[in-house]
Amino acid sequence: MSDSLQGSFKTDSQVGVGRQEQAFLHALEALEQATPFVKIKYQTEVIRRATDLFETDEGLQFVRGQAHRFDSAGVFHAGPWEHPDRLLPELVGGGLRAEGQYSALEMLSELRVLAIAAGDSPHPRFSAEQALGFLRTVMGLNLELLYGSETEESRLRPKVYARARRLLAKIEQEVSSEGLLEQVLDDIDARVAQRPIDVSLTLKMIDQAKSIQGDPDPRLAARLERYLKATGPPTPLAKKACSPGNYRNLLANATAHEIENEAKVVGKLLTLTGLSSEYHVAFLQHVLKNDETEVLAVALDLTEVGQAHMEQYREKVLEWMRLTIHPATSWIIYGFQQMLERMLLARPEVSDGLTKLINLDLCATAQQVTKKHLPRGTGITSNAAIAGGAISILGQPLGVGQGNNPTCQGARALSLWSLHDPGYLLQLLTSAARDDTVEFMFEGSPIFSKDIGGGVAEGKFDLKLDPVSRILVPHLDRIYDEMMRRAALRGEDPHKWVNPALYGRWVPNSLTSINLVNQTVSGYENFLRLFYATHHPLYDGGHDLVYPNPVGLLITNVHGVFLGYHAVSIQRVAKDEEGKIRVYFFNPNNEGRQNWGKGVEPSVVGHLEIPGESSLPFEHFAAHIYAFHYNQMEVGDLQAVPTEIIHAGITHAKESWGQAFTWL
Amino acid sequence: MEKNTPVAKSARGGKRAPVALLGYSLETMEAAKEHNIPFVAVVPEGFDIALKEDGVDVVTWDFYVHNQNSDRLYEKLVERGVSHAVPLYEETVEWAGSLNTRLLKDPRAFQRALLFRDKAMMKRNAQMNGIRVGVFEEIRSREEALAFFEDINEARLRLQEEAPEPVHLKPLSAAGSVGHVFVRSRQDITSLPDDAFPCLAESHLAGQEFSVEAFIHKGKIEFMNITEYVHLGYSQIVPETPKLSKQRTKIRKAIEKLMKAFGIVNGMIHPEYFLDQEGELHFGEVAARVPGGHIFELIQRAHGFNPYAALLLCSDPNTSKTVLDRFFPKEKDHKIFAANLMVYPRKPSVHQLQFPKELEAHPYMDRHTMFEPVTAKVAERVGFGNHYGTVFLAGEDPETLRELVQRYEEYDFYE
Repeated sequence: MSDSLQGSFKTDSQVGVGRQEQAFLHALEALEQATPFVKIKYQTEVIRRATDLFETDEGLQFVRGQAHRFDSAGVFHAGPWEHPDRLLPELVGGGLRAEGQYSALEMLSELRVLAIAAGDSPHPRFSAEQALGFLRTVMGLNLELLYGSETEESRLRPKVYARARRLLAKIEQEVSSEGLLEQVLDDIDARVAQRPIDVSLTLKMIDQAKSIQGDPDPRLAARLERYLKATGPPTPLAKKACSPGNYRNLLANATAHEIENEAKVVGKLLTLTGLSSEYHVAFLQHVLKNDETEVLAVALDLTEVGQAHMEQYREKVLEWMRLTIHPATSWIIYGFQQMLERMLLARPEVSDGLTKLINLDLCATAQQVTKKHLPRGTGITSNAAIAGGAISILGQPLGVGQGNNPTCQGARALSLWSLHDPGYLLQLLTSAARDDTVEFMFEGSPIFSKDIGGGVAEGKFDLKLDPVSRILVPHLDRIYDEMMRRAALRGEDPHKWVNPALYGRWVPNSLTSINLVNQTVSGYENFLRLFYATHHPLYDGGHDLVYPNPVGLLITNVHGVFLGYHAVSIQRVAKDEEGKIRVYFFNPNNEGRQNWGKGVEPSVVGHLEIPGESSLPFEHFAAHIYAFHYNQMEVGDLQAVPTEIIHAGITHAKESWGQAFTWL
Repeated sequence: MEKNTPVAKSARGGKRAPVALLGYSLETMEAAKEHNIPFVAVVPEGFDIALKEDGVDVVTWDFYVHNQNSDRLYEKLVERGVSHAVPLYEETVEWAGSLNTRLLKDPRAFQRALLFRDKAMMKRNAQMNGIRVGVFEEIRSREEALAFFEDINEARLRLQEEAPEPVHLKPLSAAGSVGHVFVRSRQDITSLPDDAFPCLAESHLAGQEFSVEAFIHKGKIEFMNITEYVHLGYSQIVPETPKLSKQRTKIRKAIEKLMKAFGIVNGMIHPEYFLDQEGELHFGEVAARVPGGHIFELIQRAHGFNPYAALLLCSDPNTSKTVLDRFFPKEKDHKIFAANLMVYPRKPSVHQLQFPKELEAHPYMDRHTMFEPVTAKVAERVGFGNHYGTVFLAGEDPETLRELVQRYEEYDFYE
């Protein structure tokens, strides 16, 4: 082997390629021959040499040609990529952008899956069909690497991105993008069904879906077309205009009939998708100029109730619309529609609260975080942007999300207040935006967020959030952390005291949780029984849930392996379309679609969910809960819960997250 | 109990007794496996899981905790019939000494190990044995450090307007150059953090620096490699180039003197020396473990034997002369020189690797270990650790090698 290596050193230019390929083969052979416990010593060199080859299409193809050897050689031995059947497609995008050797390792892993999909190296627990499905999902989740344009990050690390793009192109070439458009549209449908306030990801996906080629199915084209209309020019007139500004000019000369038509289209698109565009903004601005509330009602697709509400508070609605709806904040339109439908302006505390926000003296922090997220030269004031954010959250209480922050507590609280005490929500927002502090009472003593540090997020926030969360969540996070500190070491879960103090009087004072000390579980049967006797309509003695209940869940991955703890709120327990009892809950991570393995897959649409809710059959939810609040006076008959149901629940729990614990 | 403990050799009825490898070193374990040397890996917790899954006999141990339970390690190893212990990292040297005191019935093994761990004791011992060392002092405070700096400069008759004679401050016990501070002015001392003291202060030795890797068995040097430092902490060449090679006899004598002073009979030592203008050798320090800076990899490339295996064979008092003779090549028989260059980013912030094409295509280029930088912000160097990667080169002409490493030391591998 080394002889041929020596020989190829002599000449220059194109020899470089041959030498790199030889070196890769050498490294792979050394790894193949290594005894298992030293495999990791030889892995690095394989990854290093592959990195060189990933610089060109030919190099990538060469590595692909050896990919059937990777699993048996031990390229992934003793590492997180070892078992292809346990790979998670949603981690691939992050892996490809990772630092150090990991981006190349991630690529080697996908090439190995390609080899399995092609039948080059059959795997006992991962069929070619499964491999193909995995790769399709990877493509769907990484459209921006397939079709996206340069970003700030990709310009800074061009090599890493070029490699990742090369890999995705390779996957597309081998797997074909057939079916990809449908998959992406399904994904967009599911996102849209949840009606999040922050739609940036949905918009990006719609934009990238345009680039997917080669699926002539007219039904798919029609589905995509609807989204393109909702987020771009909605009508032939708008298309003709080419730009929102020009569209306004055309509207100025349009007949009443034409205006009526345009209004119908934008209104319907808004209701169908929850999305809006700069054209929609242009249309509303045109209508607002003439105070035409009738057309406005059509353009917002209001029901009779909503329209009557708007007429009643006509002056305020028109003023706030003019102030808050700008091209950069078109997403507020849907919040406006929903707020009017909720008839919230009839509550003086909401109406006054919003007026107050518009005239508020903002503190520097609130100014800064708000300005930073507005495009330059938008002409919208920080006050208006915050008020618009408040309108969104009032219209979409289940559309608030925690983003990339460990602040599920804050998101749950905002959602609960928006639903049940919108006036209080606005009061807190006013305090945070003006005074840079919020005040909470905990067991008789006040806590001011400006006086304390800490916080679960330790003050580091990813501010890709709605405008209200951006301002309020950092305060709530510190308050929550401080309360947890004060309630610690009481021998019981501190949430028993913290949740009622943080969320307010809607949360019952009793809390029960599974005893999860030192990775052991005890008292599970009684726990489960109590959950049925307080939450299941058949056994709760008629005391059905009224307010959202903040609960703790044990989360597992698609293979049922325990991942960690997560907080959600039970919104309601009700029958679904088949008459089955389901738990409807709010997942503050804004992505209700999950797969927790063993058949537990929360759904977001199709089982009578309100947009933003997730749902699970009662028994599945019960098997994942570890803590919940209840009212001691409102417990049904514990013994009425059938033993078979409880035992089935225990068995399910033991086979899922319970595997990570010792059962006492 | 100690007296009744059977000598490990026969502990497992005829089967060869395993050796305890202290510290996680895959290379050493691999060498043991290749040479059919049974072993027990003694590693910190966390390193054991994968090894166990792959069928390696593992004992977990926290080398940083010293208390009355320290004896448990000896007991665990005796249960496995271990014959002796080999240290692989600086932190495990005194553990090996302590274990070997009892396993090999060598009453001074532990004290000897402590000599390697305390740089002041080490130098004092060398000095008492007539080995030329710099002026050194153990100092407890900033004031003493300043006084030492003044004294050295006074003794050197430095005038105010001249650049002062530099001195070095180093921790009393740390691997190689970790925590090393090169002091060129009073300011360098006053700006040090309080926890830099106590430490060892020593005068500066000028000249060509090199290290020796001497594999010793039954008190005889079986193989002596010389590693020539091109630029300390950045680049080195194995074996030494012709100019330094002329001093081989002198160096071998110095090593023999050192072995006598430190009572080394079996194993490997890694001392560092300076050769001054007049051809005199000055002793820097000595370690009794696998050297850093990838020196073993260079030895393997240049001389063609596995130094990890050599370490194991020499550490075992029962290895036969025939085995050793068959194992080691002649020192002068090497065909090529091997060199490496440790790469540090030259900017405060880096985003991607930019390996030079012309170096990549150079016939002397072996391989490198650099990937995309893990974080954009470049950390300050500690000792000569945390380099971003290493370039390995090899070829017949040592001057070409020297020229290459010197040229690319200036090169920015990251953009």
